[in-house]
Amino acid sequence: MNHLGFELTRVLIGSFDFTCCEGCQLQLANKEATLPEFLALVDIRNFREISSERLDDYDIALVEGSITRSDEIERLKAIRARAKVLVAFGTCACFGGVNSLKNRIPQEELVREVYDGKVIETMPSMRIGDIVQVDLSIPGCPVSKDEVERIMVGLVTRSAATLPKYPVCVECKQQLNTCLFDLGEICLGPITRAGCDAVCPTGKTACLGCRGPAEDINYPSFVQLVKDKELSAADMREKLSLYNGFGGYLDQEN
Amino acid sequence: MIYKVISKPEFKSFIDAIVKANTAYGPKQVDTGCKGEPVYQFMPVHAADEIAFDYTATHSSAKHLFLPFRDELSKFSFTDGNWEQEVRYDAPPIVLIGLRPCDINAVNILDDVMLHGPYPSPYYLARRKNTFIIGMDHLPLPDCFCKSMNRHTVNHGFNLFCSDIGDRYYLSINSANAFSFLKEFKLEEPSYEDNCNLIERRKKIKHSFTTNIEVTGLPVFLDIEFNSPIWEKWGDKCLSCGTCAMVCPTCYCYSVEERFDIDLKGSTRQNHLYSCNLVDFAQVAGGHNFRPKNGDRLKYRYYHHYRGFAANDNQQICVGCNRCGRACLADINPKDVINDLRLERESCMTCVSTSPDKT
Amino acid sequence: MHDLRFNIPGQDLNLEPFALRAPDFQKKCEVMITDRGYKCRITNIVPLSGQERLFLLRIVDPLERELFNFRPGQFLMLEVPGYGEAPISISSSSSNHEFIEVCIRRAGHVTSALFEARQGAIVSIRGPFGTTFPMEQMKGRNVLMVAGGLGIAPMRAPLFWIGNHRDWYKDVRLLYGAREPSQLIFNYQFEEWQKVGNVTLHTIVEKPDDAWQGRVGMITELFDGFTFDPEETWAIVCGPPVMFKFVCNYLDGKGIPMNRMFVSLERRMHCGMGKCCRCMVGSTFTCLDGPVFDYWSVMNLKEAI
Repeated sequence: MNHLGFELTRVLIGSFDFTCCEGCQLQLANKEATLPEFLALVDIRNFREISSERLDDYDIALVEGSITRSDEIERLKAIRARAKVLVAFGTCACFGGVNSLKNRIPQEELVREVYDGKVIETMPSMRIGDIVQVDLSIPGCPVSKDEVERIMVGLVTRSAATLPKYPVCVECKQQLNTCLFDLGEICLGPITRAGCDAVCPTGKTACLGCRGPAEDINYPSFVQLVKDKELSAADMREKLSLYNGFGGYLDQEN
Repeated sequence: MIYKVISKPEFKSFIDAIVKANTAYGPKQVDTGCKGEPVYQFMPVHAADEIAFDYTATHSSAKHLFLPFRDELSKFSFTDGNWEQEVRYDAPPIVLIGLRPCDINAVNILDDVMLHGPYPSPYYLARRKNTFIIGMDHLPLPDCFCKSMNRHTVNHGFNLFCSDIGDRYYLSINSANAFSFLKEFKLEEPSYEDNCNLIERRKKIKHSFTTNIEVTGLPVFLDIEFNSPIWEKWGDKCLSCGTCAMVCPTCYCYSVEERFDIDLKGSTRQNHLYSCNLVDFAQVAGGHNFRPKNGDRLKYRYYHHYRGFAANDNQQICVGCNRCGRACLADINPKDVINDLRLERESCMTCVSTSPDKT
Repeated sequence: MHDLRFNIPGQDLNLEPFALRAPDFQKKCEVMITDRGYKCRITNIVPLSGQERLFLLRIVDPLERELFNFRPGQFLMLEVPGYGEAPISISSSSSNHEFIEVCIRRAGHVTSALFEARQGAIVSIRGPFGTTFPMEQMKGRNVLMVAGGLGIAPMRAPLFWIGNHRDWYKDVRLLYGAREPSQLIFNYQFEEWQKVGNVTLHTIVEKPDDAWQGRVGMITELFDGFTFDPEETWAIVCGPPVMFKFVCNYLDGKGIPMNRMFVSLERRMHCGMGKCCRCMVGSTFTCLDGPVFDYWSVMNLKEAI
C-alpha cells in the first residue's frame, strides 16, 4: 500500500486436513487463472496439495474437515497453538458436514457395516469449533475460490473479510432463476447464507444449505412455508441435516 | 406522439428486424411451474419467434437492465506512492421489448430518483439513454393493482407503445428513432374504427382489474401507524430474504463495496443492489443495527413504497405490478398488508368512539 | 434492408441546467456526480486520544482546492483507495482553503486503514455533502453549543466560523462533556477558544481521574451554572442520540423553540447523494436533508431517536 505509506507483508499460511475429501483445498490449487497472484499474496509454509514444505511457522491455519478420531483432537490443538488466525475451511470444518450423517447411527453398527467388523477407532463427527476456538469460518461444500481469495486479500490488507449476512435468495433472484418452490421443490435458499452466487439453484438443484444458516434467520416462517406448499416435512429435515449446519434449529423443534 | 396502425404479421417482421440488428431483450418463457403455469423473464432475444408476445407478466422486472445487480463504479490503480481513478459509465445500446405500462411507469419513477435530484447518476443516464423501449398493453392479471396506484396507463418514457386491437396493433410512436425505423414497414393511418377499437381496448383493460387497494391518504396512515403491531405480525412471517426487492421494478437501494484486486495493484468500487429487508441494511460500522427486527425492515420497505421519500417529492414508488406479492415465499403481499393496516386503524377508531347503535 | 442499429453516445450528459450554476461546473459535476473524488494528501496526523486522531488533508490539485467550498455542518465521503469510503464530518474552518481537518475515531476497516496510513499518504474525498448549521440566521443572537464526546468534531466548524465572525453573535457558550477527562479531546484549544474566540466554556466528565478538578456528572448538569434568554438563544447540539434527546428536551422546557435547536445525525452512508437509501431515517435522507436537522424535524422523523 505504497500510496498510504505502509507496506503489507505476505502472510504465512498452513493448510491442514482432517476427516474430509480435501476438495476445499483442491479449490485453491485448481483455479489456475489467479493461482500465481494468490501464491504471491501468501507464503505457503505447509500445504500438502501445493507444496512439499512442512514448516510449523504460520500465521494463518486453514483447517479442512471434521474431527472423528482422538488423535485428530491433539493435532488440531497443536495447530491452534501455533496459528494466530485459525480458519474453519469448508463445511466439514464449520458444521461437521456430510460426515455428521454417521452420528445418526450407533458406532458399532457403522463399523460393522463399513469395515466388516475390523477394529477401527472412530467417534461422532465434530466441528472444529467444538474443540478449539475458530477465528474465521469460510463455509461451502466446496468453498468458493472467489470468496477465499477475497477473504485472504482481506486478511493480508486488513480490510473487510466478512461473509454475506443475507440468504441465497438474493443471489438466486439476481440470476433470474425460477424459484424452486414454484417448481415444487424444497430449497434451503431462504435460510442459507449467500456467497455462492446461488450456483445450485441456477443449475436447477435445490440449495442444501452447505453454507449454513444466514444471519438471524426466520426458521419458523420457513417451516410454515414448507407446510403451506404442502411439501414433505421429512424431506425438509433431511435437507436441513445433510450438512449439519442447521443442527441448532432442528434440535429446537424436537 | 404519432399514431399509426400495423398488422400483426408486419409488426412481427419489424420486431424481427430490430431484434436481429441490436442487442435485444424480451419476454421469454423460461420454465413451467409445478401447476403448469408458464414462467416468463426478460431474456436476451435474437429473433421475433423467441418472444412471447402474449405473455402475462415476467417474474423479475427489467430493472436490472438500467440498474445492474452489480455495477462497477470506478477502478483504482495503484502506482508508486500514488493512484489513479478511472470512472466509466458508457453503456451499449439495447432494445427492450414488451414492457407493460406499469413497467414503463417504473422506469419513469427511477428517472425521477436517479436523474432529477441534486446529483444525477451518469451510470443510470447512460443506460437509460441507450435503451429503446417498446411497450405493449395487456389485460391485467387477477392480482395486478396498478390501477389503484394509477400506473395502469403510460404516456411517456417509451419509444414505441403497442396496443392490441385484435388483428392489428395501434402504435403510439414517441421518438424520431422509432419513427424512422418504422418507415421501412407498412403502416396505416388509424381509421375511425381503429380509434374506436383502441378506446374499447382501453375500457376493457380498465374494467378488468379485480384487485383494488385503497391508497388515498396512505402516507398519513403510514406515519400514524408507525408503531402499529401489524408490522410485527407481518415481520414474524417475513423471511428477510430480499426476494421482493430483487424482483421489484422500482426498488433501487444499494450498497457500495470496494474490493482489492488479487494482485493488490488496484481495487474496484462496485455497487450492489441491496434490499432494505436484509438483516444488515441499517447496520453501522460499530455494529449497531438501527433496524434489528424483521418487522422494522418490512415496515421500512412499505414506508418507502407507499409513503415515499421527502427527497423524491414524497412520491409513492410502487407501480402495483404485484411481483413482490407473487414472489414472496412467506405470502406477504401489498394488498393484504395495506388492508390490514387500514383495518387496524378502523378497529381502533371503533374502540375509542362509542357507537349509538351498540348497547 | 435499412440498418436499424441505433447508437446514442453513452456519455451524452445533458448537464446544461447545472452548468449555469458555476464556472468550471463541468469539472465539478464530474467530481460530484460520478464516483470521482478530489485527490488529497494527508499532511499531518495529530493524535487526540487512544481512539481518535485529527487528520489534515490538502487537496492536491490547485483548481480543485479552490473549488472545494463547504459550510459548517457539512460532511464529506473520505475514500481510502482499496479500503472504501466512510462519511466524515468536516472539523475545520470553512474559510481555510489550504487544509481540511477531519477528526476520526477508529471504528470500521476504512478508518482503521486510515490509522495505519502515514503522513504523505494520498486519499480521496467526495463532497461536501449535506445541510449546514444556519450561521447567518443566528446573527445577532446568543449561541449555545452543547457537545458530547466525539460530538465536538462537527462542532469545530461552527466554532471556527464564530471565531471568524465573532461580532455577529452575542453570548457564545460551549458546553462540553465526556465520559473521562482523556476523552475531552481538543483540550489544547480550550484556551484559544475562550480567549481568542470569546467563547464561555463549561466542561464536565462522568468518570473523573485523580488530576481532574472540574465538574463531575451528566452534561445537562452544566445548565445549572448560568442563565440564558430563550427568546434570544439558538442552540447547536452534537453528540450521541441519547444525549441530544435529553439536552433538547431540557432546552425545550426552558423555552427555546424546537426549530432553533440544531442537531447533527449520523448514519451509515454509501453514496452521499440520496440514492442508496442506507442513511434513511424515516422518510428522510441523512445525506441530502441532513446531517444537520432542526430538532422539530428530528422529532418528526420516525426512528430518529
